[in-house]
Amino acid sequence: MEENKNNLPEVNAISKDAEQPEGNSTNRDSNEPEHSSSAPTRTLWGDAWRRLRSNKLAVIASVWLLIIVVIALTADLWVPQHFGSPTETDSSTMTSNSRLPPSWEHPFGTDTLGRDVFCRVIYGSRISLSVGLLATAISTVIGLIMGALAAYYGGIWDTIIMRLADIFLAFPYMLFVIVMLAVFGGGIQNVFIAIGVLGWPSIARVFRSSILSIKENDYVDAARAMGASDFRIITRHIFPNSVASVVVYATMNIGGAILTEAALSYLGMGVTPPNPSWGILIEDGQQYLSTQPWLMLMPGIAILTTVLAFTLLGDGLRDALDVKMKDA
Amino acid sequence: MGKYILKRVLQFIPVFLGVTLILFIMENVVPGDPIKLMAGEKKLDPQTEINLRASFHLIETDTDGNPIYDENGNTIETPLVQRYFLYLNGLLHGDLGVSYQRSGQSVSSIIAAKYPYTVRLAIVAIIIEAIVGIGAGILSAVKRGSFWDILVTLITSLLVSMPAFWLGMLLQLFFGIQMKRWTGGAWYLPISGVGSKYSEFQPWMYYILPALTLAAISTAYTARIMRSQLLEVMNQDYIRTARAKGLSRRATIYHHALKNALIPVVTYIGMDFGAMLSGAILTETVFNWPGIGYETYRAIQSRDWPIVLGSVTVIVLVVMVINLVVDVSYAFLDPRIRFGAPKDQG
Repeated sequence: MEENKNNLPEVNAISKDAEQPEGNSTNRDSNEPEHSSSAPTRTLWGDAWRRLRSNKLAVIASVWLLIIVVIALTADLWVPQHFGSPTETDSSTMTSNSRLPPSWEHPFGTDTLGRDVFCRVIYGSRISLSVGLLATAISTVIGLIMGALAAYYGGIWDTIIMRLADIFLAFPYMLFVIVMLAVFGGGIQNVFIAIGVLGWPSIARVFRSSILSIKENDYVDAARAMGASDFRIITRHIFPNSVASVVVYATMNIGGAILTEAALSYLGMGVTPPNPSWGILIEDGQQYLSTQPWLMLMPGIAILTTVLAFTLLGDGLRDALDVKMKDA
Repeated sequence: MGKYILKRVLQFIPVFLGVTLILFIMENVVPGDPIKLMAGEKKLDPQTEINLRASFHLIETDTDGNPIYDENGNTIETPLVQRYFLYLNGLLHGDLGVSYQRSGQSVSSIIAAKYPYTVRLAIVAIIIEAIVGIGAGILSAVKRGSFWDILVTLITSLLVSMPAFWLGMLLQLFFGIQMKRWTGGAWYLPISGVGSKYSEFQPWMYYILPALTLAAISTAYTARIMRSQLLEVMNQDYIRTARAKGLSRRATIYHHALKNALIPVVTYIGMDFGAMLSGAILTETVFNWPGIGYETYRAIQSRDWPIVLGSVTVIVLVVMVINLVVDVSYAFLDPRIRFGAPKDQG
């Protein structure tokens, strides 16, 4: 058991302060975040939370994300009442309302069809956030399964899965997504699927290397010696210890997925009009760059601040959870 | 060393086969029958259609290229596996098929005409990335915690969080449109295309904004990697030794630390050249740059699949070869890789 303690700091995901309860880590799932037997236990997640709170940028980012999420969720309750429908055009006021500059009535101005851009940007956040979260969820689930299979069973599984990952990574990512959508057609569902399915290799790699280092720990051997099944070992012993790196990676991935969706919609291959994706709004605004620049500025600022917030939160989580990442 | 190169090249083969297989599958699940797409509105007479199918190996042919019929007088579809090998064979001979819409122009000739523009733009962007990225990274590591460090960190964080095509438009807005207004038309930059001999700008001026756009995000990553690498190297024992024997901080950084810190940065920039060739699709679309990326975008719009898949194939293969070369030269620069020693001991 001495070995066990010495090994701990080298494990990617585990913070140096997050002490294992002594000795009997063999039959207790001591790394479960929920686990709190005695009052002042210091868990990995408790420590991480404390460190995250002291990181000003991460706190600002979280608050900003919270605001966006609340606005996106409650949009139906107040936005259409004040700013009209995000998609439909009112033919009676269309010409008189066309491309108005920002004002109190229309904070971000209006587009060619007389629709309020503020309203469209807000509804655009729903698309961006859902693509970011859902696509990342898809990649993460596939990546976790593939990474676990490769790392835990090794051998032929490892070779096949990692070669497959190599093939996927050999494709320039953006190009791969574009080809997928060109072949299977655009639309929001295909955007979810394309971004989600193509994102698994990097998560699989992160998870695999994290498992490989955890697998060497004595408590895993001990669990096996006690007759625990593979499934139990993976879910109860390995996963809780490697989940930190996955959480960090997934958070950063959300921003990337949002950027990809914006680019696809800009190219006309993602979300279809009249749905207000931020990428589509920028594309709409591009032709009025010299006369009504706010049409492309506002949705761009929305993307920038949202992605930046996810990146900063990811950075904060990385520091808080003490996850070592390649280049960052 | 030779053994390492051999190993990397051998690893390249299954990836190459996998990638081409994916592209081939894509080509075959594209909606619509290729012959009908080529014909467009026109109605083909059945014999011409059979001959066309035979010439594209969609149906079985004898050695003279004449279609083979079964006992009922129907043509026989070529099995997919066989078509994959025919496709590979064509690929290795530079045959990427024929455009649907541009009256039988070969895809390779279209790509050959457009590729130089993309490569030239990527080269300019790589030069910007190397100079600005490495410079900013060194500055921010050497003056850690200073105003400059914070400025570099701030700018790189902003750059990696914005869509590149949006940045392109901001540059167009600022250096093209607004600059023209402010200076009364005296000084501004072109925001679209490559110009012609009649245009008022020097040819090189057309490169400035697209190249900056293409380079921006990678430059930010280069600066970040340079900074973290230099900081890591400066913590190592041999740097302390160099300082202890009386070398100045400056000499230590520029003669000892930088050499080692640069290795991963150079690798990143090398790999990025490939990424730029593929990332060009957005930049080229924003700036109407007549390269392979814009061509792909237009082909997607007009559903000209051979051009889409052909240019994707070329880009992917070029990227793969570049990555292979970079990998091998990495081993050349860093002996730890080729001897399989752990890369990093903290």
